[in-house]
Amino acid sequence: MIEVDGSLKRRLAIWLLVTVSGLGTLLMIEAYLGAQRAAQRAYDSQLEAAALTIAESVQWQEGEPVLEIPAAALQILATRHQERVFYAVLDADGRRISANLVLDIAEDDQRHVAREPFWRDVTWRGEDWRLYGREYDSAGWETQDPVQIWVGHTMAGRRALAGELFERAVTRFLAMVLLAGLLMLLAMRVALTPMRRLRQLLRRRDADDMGPLDARVPEELRELAETLDTLFSRQRDSRDALLRFTADASHQLKTPLAGLQSTSELALAQDDPETWRSALVDVNEGAARTSRLASQLLSLARLRHVGGDGDMARLDLAAMLREVTLEWAGRDAAREHDLGLAELPAAPVAILGASWALRELLGNLIDNALSYTPAGSEITLGIEIDTRVATLYIEDDGPGVPADLLERLHHPFERGGRQDTQGSGLGLAVVDSIAKRHGAAWQVSNREPRGLRVTLRLTLSSPEER
Amino acid sequence: MRPWSLVACIGLLMVSVSEVVDAEPLVVEAALDRRVVAPLLEAFEQSHPDIELVFHDRSTLEVDTLVERGDPAPDVVISSAMPWQMARVNQDYARPLHSREARAWPDWAKWRDEVFGFTFEPIVMAYRLDLPRHMMPPSTHADLHTLLTTRQDMLRGKVTTYSPARSGVGYTLFQQDARYTPRFWDLVAAMGNVDAHLEENTRAMLQGITEGRYWLGYNLLGSYAMVWAQHHPEVIVQVPQDYSLVMMRMAFIHRDAPHPRQAGEFVDFLLSRDGQRVLAGQTPLFSVRPDVSGPYTAQRLRDQVGDQLYPIPINASLLAFVDPQRRDAFMARWRREFQRSR
Repeated sequence: MIEVDGSLKRRLAIWLLVTVSGLGTLLMIEAYLGAQRAAQRAYDSQLEAAALTIAESVQWQEGEPVLEIPAAALQILATRHQERVFYAVLDADGRRISANLVLDIAEDDQRHVAREPFWRDVTWRGEDWRLYGREYDSAGWETQDPVQIWVGHTMAGRRALAGELFERAVTRFLAMVLLAGLLMLLAMRVALTPMRRLRQLLRRRDADDMGPLDARVPEELRELAETLDTLFSRQRDSRDALLRFTADASHQLKTPLAGLQSTSELALAQDDPETWRSALVDVNEGAARTSRLASQLLSLARLRHVGGDGDMARLDLAAMLREVTLEWAGRDAAREHDLGLAELPAAPVAILGASWALRELLGNLIDNALSYTPAGSEITLGIEIDTRVATLYIEDDGPGVPADLLERLHHPFERGGRQDTQGSGLGLAVVDSIAKRHGAAWQVSNREPRGLRVTLRLTLSSPEER
Repeated sequence: MRPWSLVACIGLLMVSVSEVVDAEPLVVEAALDRRVVAPLLEAFEQSHPDIELVFHDRSTLEVDTLVERGDPAPDVVISSAMPWQMARVNQDYARPLHSREARAWPDWAKWRDEVFGFTFEPIVMAYRLDLPRHMMPPSTHADLHTLLTTRQDMLRGKVTTYSPARSGVGYTLFQQDARYTPRFWDLVAAMGNVDAHLEENTRAMLQGITEGRYWLGYNLLGSYAMVWAQHHPEVIVQVPQDYSLVMMRMAFIHRDAPHPRQAGEFVDFLLSRDGQRVLAGQTPLFSVRPDVSGPYTAQRLRDQVGDQLYPIPINASLLAFVDPQRRDAFMARWRREFQRSR
C-alpha cells in the first residue's frame, strides 16, 4: 500500500526555513551588534577629533590656561545629525576653565582620564550622552600643568547610523534568502529529473517485461535501480517456477487421466462383465492415485501461498514424532518394512511450528522412505539435540540416490531418477516448502555403505518466547 | 421658554464667559521691534481669534534672562542674538516642533527642529547724503577701510557702528566678520582711529545719521535701515558688494511653555506661507520661503545684490561665540585694535 508522506519539496522547504531562521537569528544578532559597534566607532572618532581640535587651541597666558574654543570643534561634535554638544576644559585641580553645560563629571572619571583617555555614557536631562575625556600635557612659560578636555554629544546620529547599517544587513540577508530559495527550487527540479525519467521508463514497460532496467541514473538512485532489477529478476524466477510447476502438474495429471480414459474405453468396447470388473478395479486405483496427486499439489500450492505465521505455536517435537511414527507403523504400507524410532530425548523438545505442516512433512518423509526402499529395509527416525538446535533425522538402508541428483531432489516432480514407484515426485518439494516456512535447513545425504539420510535442523524455542 | 432650557442657556453663557476669563494669553518674549512686526501679529490674531497674544518687545539680554529664569517661562522666544538662542537650545530649553511646516523648513535655517530662523535680514552700511559730496561712498569692506584711513580728518567722529560689548547682535556680527578675514581687525583699528561712536542698536545709528551727527554707519540691520530710508531720503542704504552678512531671528518654543499647543500654532504661523507672506509684503524682515513673493524676500534680495549674501549659519559653531573665554579674548582684542593708534 502506498502512503503519500508529505512532499520532498515541502520537506526541503521546511528544512531550509528552519536552517535559515536559526542561522538568520544568529546573523541578525551579529549584524545588530556589529552595526552598533560600527556606529559607535564612527562617532567616537568624531569626539576624539573634536577633543584634539580643542586641545590645539589651549594656550597658557600668565600661568593660566586660556581657551579660545574653536567653532570647528563644535561643528565636529554636532555632526550632521545636529547633536546637542558639550565641552569642558578642566585644569590640573579639576576647576572648569571653560564649559558650555553644567553637566557634571564624576571625580572618579577625572582621575581615570589622568591615566588614559576615557569613554562614558551618561544620562543628562532625560537624554543619553556619550562623553570622551582626555588629558593633554601642555607647556607654558610659567607652568607645565596638564589640562583635561571633555567633549560629548547626544546619540541620535549613532542610533540613526546603527539603524541604517542594520537595515541594510537585513535587506541583504532577505535578498540572499530569497535567491537561495529560488535556486533551491531550481536545483530540486534539476535533481529530480532522473527520478522522473525512471518513472517514465517504468510506466512505459510492458506488463510481462521482466528484463533488467536500461536507465541512466545518478549515484543516489543506483541502489533503487538495482533493487528494482533484483525484484524483476525474482519475479521472473518465480513466474518461471510457476509456469514450470503448472506444466509439470498438467503433465502429471494428464498421464493417469489418459490411462483412465483408455482403460474405460477398452472396457466399454467389451461385453464381458469380467473385463468390466477388472477395468473398474484399474479405474479405481488410477482415480485413487490421481486424487492423491491432486491433494499433494493442493497442499504444495497451499504451503506456497499461505502467508504469515499465525498458526505457529510451541509444540513438543519428540511427542509429535512418536505419534506420527506409531501411526505410520500401523498402516498397510509399512507392513513389509522395519519402521522404528531411535531413542528420543527424555525432556520435551520445544520448538515453534505449525502442527499440521510438520505432520505433513514427517508423513512425506516416511512415505518417501517406504516407497523408495525395497521391502525389508530398516527405516529409523530420531532427534539429536544440540544447544540451540534440534536435528530431526530419518535414515534407511535402501539404495540411496546418485550424488549428482541429490541437489535436485527438492524440485517438484523429481524422483531421484526412479520411475519404478507410484510417487508423484512432489513429496520432497512439500518438505522443502514446509522447512522454509519454519526457517529450517534440511539436507539429503547418502549413507555409508548404503542408504539415505535426511536431516532437518529446527531452532529450539526458548521458554521465554511466546 | 421652558425652565430647563433657560437653565441650559444660562449654563452655556457662564461656560463661555469663564472660558474667556480663564484663557491665559500666549506670551511671546521677543527681541524684535513691535512696530516692525505689528502686521505679522495682526495677521496671526485674525487667523487665530481663539488665541490671545501678548507680545513683549525687549532687548536680547532681557529675553535671554527670561528664558533662563523661566518664572513663569514664556511660551515663545524670539531673538536676534543668534549665539545666545543657540546656547539655550543646546541647553535643552527648547521644545521640538513636529509639524508639517517645521519639517518642510529649509535645513540651513533650523536646528534640531527646535529653533527656526524665520527672517532673512541683510547687514548693510548706511551713509548720509553729505558723504558723496566729499568722497566716493564705500560699496565694499575694503572701500570702507580705504576711506577710513585716507579721509580720517573729515570722518573723525562721523562714523558709527554697534558696540560689541553692549549689543549681542553687534558682537555676533563682528565675530562673524572676524571669521571671514583677519583684515577685519585693520577695519576695527581704522574705526578706532576716527573715534567711531559705538551704539547699542540700529535705530540709534539711523537716528544719528538723520540728525547729521553721523555720516557713515557700519553693520546696520538692513531690515530697519531700508524702512528708515523710505521715510528719510537723506539716508542711503548700501548692501556691501564683497560680502553681506545675513542675520536671522531665531524663534523657539520654551521647554516649560505654559501653552505648548498655542505656542506651536504661533511658530507654525511664523513658518507658514501666510505668515511669511506678511513678512515679505508688510515688514522689512524678509521671507525665507522661496514660494512667497513680495518686496521683501530672500529670493528677491539675492536677485538684487547677487550671491554675496552670507547668512550666519544656524549650527553648533554659533556656540563658540558665547564661550566666556572666547568672548573675553575677542573683546580684549577688539579694545586693543580699537585703540591701536592712540
